[in-house]
Amino acid sequence: MSVHAISIDPATCTGCGLCVLACPADVIRMDAASGKAKVVYGGDCQVCYLCEDDCPAHSISLSHDITNPRRYSIYDEPGGTF
Amino acid sequence: MPGSIEVLHTDVLVIGGGFAGTWASLRAADLGASVTLVDKAYVSKSGASTMSGGITTCPLDTDDMDLWAREFIERGDYMCDQRWTYQLLEGQRERVKDYVRWGVPISRAEDGSIRRFASRGMIDVRGMQYQPKAAMIELRRRIVARGVRILDRVHITELVTADGQWPSNGAIIGAVGFNIYTGQFVFINAKRTIVATGMIAMKGTHRVDNDTGDGVAMAFRAGGRLVDMEFTFGGTFNVLMKKFDFPSYNVAVAHGARLINARGERFMEQHDPVRLERGELSNVVAAFAKEIVEGRGPVFVDLRHVDASYWTDLAKLHRGGSILLSGHVPDPRVNPLPIEPTWGLWASGRSGLQIDLGARTNLPGLLAAGSAAKNDATGTHASAGSPTAFAKVSGWHAGETAALESRQTDLESAPQGLIAMLQEKALAPLNRARGERSADRLHDDLARLESSVVKSMILSEGRLNELLQGARDVAGALDQTAAGDLHDLVKWHEARNVSLNAEIVYRSALDRTESREQFYREDFPMTDPGWFCWHGVKSTGEGLAFDKQAFPQEGARFLPEHQHSGLGPIGAIMSAKHQPAKAL
Repeated sequence: MSVHAISIDPATCTGCGLCVLACPADVIRMDAASGKAKVVYGGDCQVCYLCEDDCPAHSISLSHDITNPRRYSIYDEPGGTF
Repeated sequence: MPGSIEVLHTDVLVIGGGFAGTWASLRAADLGASVTLVDKAYVSKSGASTMSGGITTCPLDTDDMDLWAREFIERGDYMCDQRWTYQLLEGQRERVKDYVRWGVPISRAEDGSIRRFASRGMIDVRGMQYQPKAAMIELRRRIVARGVRILDRVHITELVTADGQWPSNGAIIGAVGFNIYTGQFVFINAKRTIVATGMIAMKGTHRVDNDTGDGVAMAFRAGGRLVDMEFTFGGTFNVLMKKFDFPSYNVAVAHGARLINARGERFMEQHDPVRLERGELSNVVAAFAKEIVEGRGPVFVDLRHVDASYWTDLAKLHRGGSILLSGHVPDPRVNPLPIEPTWGLWASGRSGLQIDLGARTNLPGLLAAGSAAKNDATGTHASAGSPTAFAKVSGWHAGETAALESRQTDLESAPQGLIAMLQEKALAPLNRARGERSADRLHDDLARLESSVVKSMILSEGRLNELLQGARDVAGALDQTAAGDLHDLVKWHEARNVSLNAEIVYRSALDRTESREQFYREDFPMTDPGWFCWHGVKSTGEGLAFDKQAFPQEGARFLPEHQHSGLGPIGAIMSAKHQPAKAL
């Protein structure tokens, strides 16, 4: 499993670059060698779906299961109720 | 070895490309000014505007603006400039017409009219739901067509002062920053500069990570006067089942979502029998905290009773809603799901740079709009939809003022050597040896200050001093923190700005020795009529200088019957003594 929420399938990516524009957090860059989009700063993905929405080739997937380490849950405190 | 400096000249520089910045650009360009719009991401995909839930205040020509204004003013506890309230409503009426004319998708009733509903926190004021992303794309298209020069992926690091001093006694003459792909350093020399950089927030806790309050911090360093910074504390119910992002709480409760405790009780019935979960957000969060503290958690969001349009609009208008029907969580149409709020730095207009009716700050040449500015139309309680309304309308006014004033202004050049000094300072972290902490670590440490919603909401001198120490610790580590590359350098500057904003917020909170609205100090639980005023703060160079300023009498159509002096609302909720504002 990927350590980041975002992954791009190089097999279907057409290299249009729309996801690079869409990402507010500068997670994605164009890879000069392959001409395709590449996740470079995956740890900064905020799972906003803007890239996935704009990808015409449906090459981007976002996982709901990557925990955000900066998010705190009160339910994890001692005596937490679930 | 610093690289070259690109110098651009413009009548109006707009920093930040969300609703406020694009409306400012559009208006200024319409009035014939040359406009440069700069954003650290890509204009139309940056900040909170695109990510917002899509509710905005929706006044129409047939509505009674006195009724609406009165509700905003009363709910905001009269802590506003009532001329701004009318200006907001009248301006927003025109902006809604623009959206209709432009074909921005708006949720409609069966007869084709705009479907309106009571805004959260409100009874008479109505909001509408539209597609914010589509609105941003349309705004970008329109400003490009007007010839606005857009600089995407340029991170502004400092406002430039005419006298080369921070804080300054001179004018703001533009800003400097770097392209995050190429490192090219740029000085945008402007007759008028508009800060439209959005909310003050920590990176990572709300997942609108562009909003790090850069413009507020930069303006403060330059001598800008901020107001009501302790009211930056805020938040919303945004975490589902401990880790998932819950899509807009405002949208959910507008459609009938409820909150219930572990016993299945709809606990808001005790605290606000009329508006229930649609009451002032801080009161609902306080009620949540009470349930948790008293052992009736977890609290569930109950979507079993929402109207059908919630589910259809969710898929259509709000992409992030997919978690609810993704199969990753039990089906929320039949199962209430554990929910919790975050509470911390999250301003949306309750604090920020103070602006006049023309969106001017106290600094010559500097204007502000949107959530970087204090929204003086609604006071400290921003109802659902008013922050985006204020972004549009304040942006529009900032653009107009800047364009008109730039006609009578000459460009003022920067003092010799100043821009090179700013370049060296901005890029310095790139040349440092890697130390113990990275920029990411600084943001981790800042985010940790927010932690528990209960601790963030229930403040005291001791708690605030702990928070202040945490913010100062990060600020003190900046000089030993390296940036690995340009992407990292952006985060370094964001950490600098967030830690400064956090310090200002915590110190403002220490200065306010009372409890009022969503601001609660356990050690000063009563509301003190002596604090019925704007609470200003400026940099003196060595420290912070606070002031108190009375709300204006001019244009005030509604006056409070009396000044509150009892227990503040959060304290009252925690002790089950809350009397909700009278139901209309």
